[in-house]
Amino acid sequence: MTNSQRARWGSAIRYFILVLGCLLVLLPVSWMIITSLKTMQDITLSKGVELFPNGPTVSNYITIWSEYPMLSYIKNSLISVGGSTIFAVVCAALCGYGLSRYEFGGKKFLLSFLLVTQMFPAVMKIIPYYKILVNVHLNDTAFGLMIVYASFSIPFCTWMMYGYFKTISTSLDEAARIDGCSPLQTFFKVVLPLTIPGLVATTIYAFLQNWNEYMFASVLIRSDDKKTLTFGISSMADAYRIQWNYLMSASIIASVPTMLIFVFLQKQLIAGMTAGAVKE
Amino acid sequence: MSTLSPAVLKRKKRLSKLTPYGFVAPATITMLLLVVYPILYGFYISFFDTNLVNKWKWVGLTYYGKAFTDASFTHSLWMTVIFTTFVVLGHFLLGFVFANILNKPIRFKTFFRGVLIIPWLFPDVVVAYLFKWILNTQSGILNALLMHLGLIQEPIGWLTQSATAFPCVIFVSIWKGFPLVMIQILAGIQTINTDMYEAASIDGANGWQQFRYVTLPALKPILTTVLILDTVWVFKQFTLIWLTTAGGPGSTTMVSAVEIYKNAFNYFKYGYASAQSVFILVICYLIGVVFRRLLKDD
Repeated sequence: MTNSQRARWGSAIRYFILVLGCLLVLLPVSWMIITSLKTMQDITLSKGVELFPNGPTVSNYITIWSEYPMLSYIKNSLISVGGSTIFAVVCAALCGYGLSRYEFGGKKFLLSFLLVTQMFPAVMKIIPYYKILVNVHLNDTAFGLMIVYASFSIPFCTWMMYGYFKTISTSLDEAARIDGCSPLQTFFKVVLPLTIPGLVATTIYAFLQNWNEYMFASVLIRSDDKKTLTFGISSMADAYRIQWNYLMSASIIASVPTMLIFVFLQKQLIAGMTAGAVKE
Repeated sequence: MSTLSPAVLKRKKRLSKLTPYGFVAPATITMLLLVVYPILYGFYISFFDTNLVNKWKWVGLTYYGKAFTDASFTHSLWMTVIFTTFVVLGHFLLGFVFANILNKPIRFKTFFRGVLIIPWLFPDVVVAYLFKWILNTQSGILNALLMHLGLIQEPIGWLTQSATAFPCVIFVSIWKGFPLVMIQILAGIQTINTDMYEAASIDGANGWQQFRYVTLPALKPILTTVLILDTVWVFKQFTLIWLTTAGGPGSTTMVSAVEIYKNAFNYFKYGYASAQSVFILVICYLIGVVFRRLLKDD
């Protein structure tokens, strides 16, 4: 076999594997979309293979808003996830900056603590959180969930921001200091604007992590109108007879924010995905 | 500046010593309150037979001893180890293959990469129900297709039979998680200097040898981190299993996270569940230590 023949075979095999991988991804996803466009009657009658005995319909996407408190699910998700993301990113940016610019007692300990918290099994925190939130009457509230989500995000976000700040030369800080900036002004006016891409990646990461969270919501929230979107979807499946068409259309709605981020902020999203691994 | 009195200068100096603490304070205080305190409180609960309301009976280390001898807990640990091994292997196998291909000059690279990231974008809840629906015994598409093609006569209870439930759960977890590993490996590969490959191919190294002696060593630091993070994440996996099989049928997919969750919130054995989760904490920590030792640069 000549070299060019071998190269051609190699690239044919590569495309074959890629197409196979894409099918593996797209077939289940397209089944979700197809199901969301079916009536329940079609689902029970068609026995799967026949796609749309009575034609596709978008009625599920309209009906679920009145069948389930979708709006309050979304509102609760936005409050708890949005609030925790903003809080966590602010804390993380300040802390990451402090860690990257100063030497101080306890710094090493703080850095390794940030990593060790990644090891804490969530299930270990869930019992104490449950008890603590009941004690302070914040169980079954979006605010309580927000606090819990912030605690998930702060360690990892701090680690990410620390990585971004380290890439920025400290000579900028010195210049700003000579020009009479206070440390806080230096941070806000000089260094932070340069880390906007990192800040966006960190925000996306924190938002997605908590937007997708299910376990803590399912324990800390009880009433239907306080549920987050992921927990709300899972309670749609508690019914004796699951309405798969509703479930799948709600699932697609729940995935919209992530898809939008993916389409418009792909670069920052991928930066967020790789921040954990490629640190140094 | 020269007009400042020594006292003011001194105060300024003391203040500037405090500056770093000012920056790290919000995050540190929040973590003390929201991470350290709950974890310590979790330890505390593990010494009690409690319903978390009015019954607090001190039992000391009883639950730790019990966890050691409890067959269902050791079974769940074992299942977690098998589950984690297969899922992480799957993540790395797919991640490596796709990352390597995506690093080659191919057409529609952005498209392929975009499609392969998609599973990671869906919430766990959505992935769990999607596959629960596809694998549904009576009306799932997989059974319908297989029967349509004449490959099976009777519908298979993919998630309700003990023989198929565990492999299915592993498959779903691989499907959901491989894109993250793929993207991280891809990012690592892209940092490798292409001159190294040229030099290797001039020296007559074939594709496999280039991979073995150039790619792998250069990727080692990244692989170590990704391996540790991925293993710990998979080890803690709860949602995908809870919503597809809830640990069943029987206890064939009962990993530790599900077992602990059930003990706490279905059987209200909070103290025992806390003691079990302390074990998981120790194991997760040890995984990190062991991997770092094993993969340390020789």
